[in-house]
Amino acid sequence: MDNNNKKWFSLNLSNKKKQEPGTCECGKTSEGCNSSGNDHLRDADFDAAVDATIAEERTKDGFEQVFDVQMDRRTAFKKLTASLLIGAGAVSTSCSVIAGDETKEKAQIDWEEQFKGNYKLMTRDEKESTVGRLVRSYQLRTGKNISMSSKNAEEDVLFGYAFNISKCQGYMDCVTACVEENNLDRNSQMEYIRIHEMKDGKGFNFNEADDNYYHEVPAEGHFYMGTQCFHCDNPPCVEVCPVQATWREDDGLVVVDYDWCVGCRYCMAACPYDGRRFNWSTPEVPEKEVNKNQHYLGNRLRKKGVVEKCTFCVQRSRVGKNPACVDACPTGARIFGNLLDPDSTIRWVLENKKVFRLKEDLGTEPKFWYFMD
Amino acid sequence: MNRHHIAINFICAFFLVLLVFSCKHKEGEYHSITDKIEAEGKNFHGTSISSEKYIGDIKTIEVTENEHTFLIPERKSQIKSYTCSECHSKPLHQMQSSVKKAHWQIATEHADTNTMNCATCHDGANMDDLKSITGTKINFNASHRLCAQCHTRQFEDWKGGAHGKKIAGWAPPRASMTCVNCHNPHKPHFKSKWPARYNTQKVKERK
Repeated sequence: MDNNNKKWFSLNLSNKKKQEPGTCECGKTSEGCNSSGNDHLRDADFDAAVDATIAEERTKDGFEQVFDVQMDRRTAFKKLTASLLIGAGAVSTSCSVIAGDETKEKAQIDWEEQFKGNYKLMTRDEKESTVGRLVRSYQLRTGKNISMSSKNAEEDVLFGYAFNISKCQGYMDCVTACVEENNLDRNSQMEYIRIHEMKDGKGFNFNEADDNYYHEVPAEGHFYMGTQCFHCDNPPCVEVCPVQATWREDDGLVVVDYDWCVGCRYCMAACPYDGRRFNWSTPEVPEKEVNKNQHYLGNRLRKKGVVEKCTFCVQRSRVGKNPACVDACPTGARIFGNLLDPDSTIRWVLENKKVFRLKEDLGTEPKFWYFMD
Repeated sequence: MNRHHIAINFICAFFLVLLVFSCKHKEGEYHSITDKIEAEGKNFHGTSISSEKYIGDIKTIEVTENEHTFLIPERKSQIKSYTCSECHSKPLHQMQSSVKKAHWQIATEHADTNTMNCATCHDGANMDDLKSITGTKINFNASHRLCAQCHTRQFEDWKGGAHGKKIAGWAPPRASMTCVNCHNPHKPHFKSKWPARYNTQKVKERK
């Protein structure tokens, strides 16, 4: 790579050969092209050979290992053919004289979206241009306009949440508000929030709790507690992600780049709170129900095979609003605010009520506290 | 002998360094979220975000209770046919016999009749204000003080922000609902109702 600051990958075949004088065109490193080689390599030769093939892997990580390898002509052609096949369609439509301007633009957008980088590493401009492309793409496809934000975390903000288990009555208005706000898949009836109905006097017994009740609430002798993504300060889901498609933002929100996620679901296995959801099929939201006020990291429309979760409604919270669940709760059981602001209500709750968190002993440091009156 | 000492010292130093580094979590320099809040909140100068525009058309008034100052919705303009003295021109006992009946639909389901009746909060001689247990005037816009006479714990929580709903967003200025925005003072209990949704897919999957 001629420029290490570049965040995208570019094939650079010509430079490779100059760097590796010992490598001949067929890719072999120690012997001549046509020689069959000795049956028993000497130890020194063997070490040299190993070094030549994997030395870079010892120092490089992630996709550099895959992309930054020494490459002979044959493999290079193989890889090029594969990517060319993917791109050929797009190129042919964009260069075609018969195809309309819109088709060309669509192809151009798809091409650029396909090869964009990880959102976490994007500059301000790159973020804006990808958001612009997504908005334009939606407009071209559906004829409708959406607004999508790429607003970064504000300084001096750390979001926290408190849930009053003696106030929650199990009405589930929060769940409905969340589904509508975040464009959740209506087909699989995906829900970020779970409200667990628990028997009084049994403690937090999640095994016996019912999170899909349907009877008049509050039911006699029961209490209700809601769970969702707790936006841990030490999130295990982030640590296991092999492609760094999920991370903790500066304001404490744990977010997912849906376009970078490969759908391995390691994060779902790592989350001790069952906070993440997977799109087994393409999420479907009726056009008239789509919430058009979107954020790149939040409620924009997802695709099949990616993981998603509660983002504390990043499209709302970053502009000063409360998450949809907080606004929808008729009992005032949900409290949201800035943990760094000493005058915020969330801070008063933490300092004056007896608060606790789930599985505190794991050291995940969730920013979601429970309390009682 | 000397070399032996150096080796021991070296091993000790190694374990000391190991000890220091093993105490560190990966989340940065803080051991817990409370440490982080304390350290990063120390130099808090406020944010540029305001939730003022989300209050919308709701007319608010500022209240200060102890060290807490925040907005609550203005009440008087929300009461139909306020001021009450437009009808209640005479003290109540003089009106009860002569003028036709009003407010018959209000049935109080608030505490029991030993503790409360209409006159606990309303003053028959001055219907434009509420009255405390000892008979002092309480403005309709400050009705939370009336409730606070008995519901002291809820009042404390409300002042701090643990009880009750907020009107706008999380960002300052803080705007909270007042007691009567959620609780009907004559019938303050929440009714039981059916949950807003039922997940049929979950039922299928769990079978």
